[in-house]
Amino acid sequence: MARILFTVPPLTGHLNPALAVADALSRQGHELAWAVHAAQIGDKLPEGARVYALDHGDGADPGIAAPQVRGLESVRLFFEDYALPLAERVLAPMEAAVRDFAPDAMVVDHQMLGGALVARKLGVPWVSQVTTSASILKMSPVLDAWVAEQYLALQRRYLPEDLIVERPDFSPHRVIVFSIETLPGDRHARVDAPYAFVGPVRGEGRRQIEFPWEWLRQDRRKLLVSLGTVSRDRDTRFFEVVMEAVSGMPEVQAVLVAPESLAASAPDNVLVRGYVPQTELLRHVDGVICHAGHNTVCEALSCGLPMIVAPIRDDQPVIARQVIDAGAALFVRQGKVTAAAMRTAIANLLGTPSLADSARRLSQELLAAPGAPGAARIILALAAAAPASLELA
Amino acid sequence: MSKHYDDILSLVIGKIRSTINEDWIQDFEIEGETRFNTDLEIESIEFVKIADAIQAHYGTQLDIVGWLSGKSIHELIGLSVGELASFIAGAVPEQG
Repeated sequence: MARILFTVPPLTGHLNPALAVADALSRQGHELAWAVHAAQIGDKLPEGARVYALDHGDGADPGIAAPQVRGLESVRLFFEDYALPLAERVLAPMEAAVRDFAPDAMVVDHQMLGGALVARKLGVPWVSQVTTSASILKMSPVLDAWVAEQYLALQRRYLPEDLIVERPDFSPHRVIVFSIETLPGDRHARVDAPYAFVGPVRGEGRRQIEFPWEWLRQDRRKLLVSLGTVSRDRDTRFFEVVMEAVSGMPEVQAVLVAPESLAASAPDNVLVRGYVPQTELLRHVDGVICHAGHNTVCEALSCGLPMIVAPIRDDQPVIARQVIDAGAALFVRQGKVTAAAMRTAIANLLGTPSLADSARRLSQELLAAPGAPGAARIILALAAAAPASLELA
Repeated sequence: MSKHYDDILSLVIGKIRSTINEDWIQDFEIEGETRFNTDLEIESIEFVKIADAIQAHYGTQLDIVGWLSGKSIHELIGLSVGELASFIAGAVPEQG
């Protein structure tokens, strides 16, 4: 049996795929441990999980702030205020955890840089897990150079010179991408790494969420509208624009995942809910309007649904572009789109068969991908091929 | 600012409107201080298209992408329409 150590940042979108892979491994009897921020995500781990806490308990652990920023600025803030300080702070407890657990292999989220540096320093075989199809692409010369510079400074403070590399977040052994290769396509240069595309994994821990299914009508074209949990409460303008657009389209029904205060001003054919059972609801709709978050995009495409994408921040603009290039999406500008333009976009979404055809093609590919069990096989092969080379002092 | 700069600023604003070509931008007030990222929600791919349109207007003596590559990430985030116009004003000769 293999000993596998997982480390991910305390973010749901990164934890969920790891949980699915861990589940596949533990069913086979392998011994797992987690090096995570226990105060933030400890309660989401399986019962009885072996946990090495990375928290400092001083209230100063970095969190994702500034929900209002968009575009390139959100990328800069993510690195400067989150990923890099997080890496610096976890190095010591991470190294102690790896020395104590002595794993045969590590699974390191590519945004959990501290785990990557410790694996490199101690010579533990490791795989990177990449949770979106955007993160494997080179960005632009300026951005890539800036990122490399940030990584370099961090590595110099921790690693001997001969272990320093340009992109320490990508494993030289295997990089597991929870997406399909068609999405990034070949239009853009990738960071050079040994990729394995295993497709999306269904997140665990979804709560039971009530939904008034009887509201949906057989004789209407139905839309799900969601900007994801991070941007849901950003501002209400976008949802108001959708409501105004849909109010003039009696043949359409729309479910908005939005602040429930909007329900009072919603037209008859719009339902506003703070939370929805998204996976199940997607089986009942004809199209999706979303922020191009990777999870929502993969869930919608898995159901063969075309979409209107309104990207806001982080990797969303890149993912939006990928779905548009794959022929399954139309673009609207999130903070600018007018009701008239939204109405046109919705009419095009529902009236253009090629969009749905492309979405169905992608759905076949997504459903055929090996998923969490495939990721588990890759991790085990690595653990078996490279017997523990740890030289623990 | 000179008439040279003002003419170029008008041209740049026109190219932004025609390249983005969405209803809101035709009435949106665009000035020298207007920023591509924050105020216009313009992504890098779209910026390149705008740059190409401006380049096509002046011929090939402009290297907007090269100019950008000398900028820091902070400068890129805050890049304004006026900064682009100033660069072009310095790169193309005044028409007599």
